[in-house]
Amino acid sequence: MQFREIIRQALYSLGANRLRSALTVMGVAVGVFSIIGVMTALEAVNKSVETGLTSLGANTFQIQKYPATVFGSGHRRNQYINRQDITYPQALVFRKTMEGKASTIGFMLSSQANQAKYADRTTNPDVVLTGGDENFSASNGYPIEKGRNLTTNDIRYATNAAVIGSELAATLFTQGENPLNHSIRVRGEVYRVSGIFAKKGAAFGQSQDNFLLIPITRYLNHVKESGSINITVEASSRKTYSRTLDHAVGSMRITRGLTIREPNDFEIRTNESLIDSFRDIERAISTGAFIISFMALLTAGVGIMNIMLVSVTERTKEIGIRKSIGAPQNSILRQFLLEALILSLAGGLIGAAAGTATGNLVALQFNLPPIFPLLWITISMAVCSAIGIGFGLFPAWKAANLNPVEALKGK
Amino acid sequence: METSPVITMRDLKRHYSMGEETVKALDGVDLEFLKNDYAAIMGPSGSGKSTLMNIIGCLDTPTSGTYILNGQNVAEMDDDELARVRNREIGFVFQTFNLLPRINCLRNVELPLIYAGVNPREREERATEALNRVGLGDRITHKPTELSGGQIQRVAIARALINNPSIILADEPTGNLDTATSQDIMEIFSDLSKAGNTIILITHEEDIALYTRRIIRLRDGRIESDKKQ
Repeated sequence: MQFREIIRQALYSLGANRLRSALTVMGVAVGVFSIIGVMTALEAVNKSVETGLTSLGANTFQIQKYPATVFGSGHRRNQYINRQDITYPQALVFRKTMEGKASTIGFMLSSQANQAKYADRTTNPDVVLTGGDENFSASNGYPIEKGRNLTTNDIRYATNAAVIGSELAATLFTQGENPLNHSIRVRGEVYRVSGIFAKKGAAFGQSQDNFLLIPITRYLNHVKESGSINITVEASSRKTYSRTLDHAVGSMRITRGLTIREPNDFEIRTNESLIDSFRDIERAISTGAFIISFMALLTAGVGIMNIMLVSVTERTKEIGIRKSIGAPQNSILRQFLLEALILSLAGGLIGAAAGTATGNLVALQFNLPPIFPLLWITISMAVCSAIGIGFGLFPAWKAANLNPVEALKGK
Repeated sequence: METSPVITMRDLKRHYSMGEETVKALDGVDLEFLKNDYAAIMGPSGSGKSTLMNIIGCLDTPTSGTYILNGQNVAEMDDDELARVRNREIGFVFQTFNLLPRINCLRNVELPLIYAGVNPREREERATEALNRVGLGDRITHKPTELSGGQIQRVAIARALINNPSIILADEPTGNLDTATSQDIMEIFSDLSKAGNTIILITHEEDIALYTRRIIRLRDGRIESDKKQ
């Protein structure tokens, strides 16, 4: 019997039991939907992370107390908490020892959740107040759009100059006023807006422009004395980058007074290290999604087997008739197997379509171009085929081996 | 003209074990059917006529004895060879019609040709022709559920004819039909017989058996009588 005929017969049988077929297909679709949906969303997040986390300028790395992300708790977390802060004096010493070995070295220190006020307008308490220096703009990828950057004099004299992020500017200066040289209040201190940074956009759906930069010296004097400083080091070129990195580690160890046996009590953060640490999260999520989806698909497979067994029982007479007019065993086997395969593949396709669509909603959220998770769709289809064949085999075998005399009696 | 038999059965036995007991459904049957035979197999229930019909139709194989169909020893065939023989050599007509209810007449009639590997265009031609032969040329797109009992049985006969089988095997073909329709159906069988087909009927109705030219009576798994008429 030709393959086309078998497909036609299989489709016909499935069409005759539309509701049942549809429910079975749905079982598979849910399983595939979950994996494709999660994987598409992850890919979207992933792309956003690559752009969002490439926040440091080229040839730039940071030295800080904590790693970019900390997993786990208890001992592991305490190990970081118990580290000594990187103090301003230490940072200054570090800069001195690094002289001539890096093109720029910048310091910064931030506090979250501040409110900024201008005239009668007050922001939500979500403004980041950053103490930094003239290098912040270049090292962190924030060009100046209007006004001027912080200067060495601002740092030296701890002036009240502030360069503000584009979103903060938009929130406070709503009536088209020019923010430059206006005074804003943050934490009871008055700052004069000397410049505005260009818009950077969001990462992880969170704005990166809702902040203000003040001289680090003023920050330490008026905002907070304690806190660990992030040191941003820029190498002069790609070629000297790794040498600069080595020097920086050495200088920092000397600055912190570490002996040879002691491990580093600070972290080096590069664009790559941050993306890597995100990859860890991504891997955990994909593994979880994969396991859950696999379970769902397994359940769906059992559903297919169940439906096919019911179908074989219900269509015993049909099988008998087909056998009586000369259907060989393997054509019955193939027909039932194909029905199972069509059910699982249809479920797979629907799940993949729905999953891709849903995952792309996430991509939309991050303003990313549409994503087509070809790899995962291929994997899902392969798994669906395996499930259709695997779970359809027993019922099909049962059908093919029915005794024609008994089958014709319809028992 | 001497014709070799289409079917030869020698000392055919079919025993079933039911728990400790052995049921001898057929217990030594010797039979021959020649080409163009038109025979009725009769007997009370439990006489073994259904078993005999199943064996003749290659749906079942004998416990012992030989069954030669068109020169092939059927008793020794495996399932797929039997399927092939059912497809090519035998046309079944059942009491309960046994059409697939959800597909139309044409598709039902062409089904044996699908398993024979005939291409779609030829299938459709031959199925239409077979339906014309039983007087249902205008009903080819109807589904069995839209037809009367007599019409359904005629579709089944068309299906039995489609592969030009060596024998047409009809199991109580009029059992579910009223008298007038039964007569119509038997007229069709008689016409087919005149056209040269070999037909074996199983029936318990004397007036149906009277249409045939030979009546074989079974009792307790053996042949009680075998008369030409």
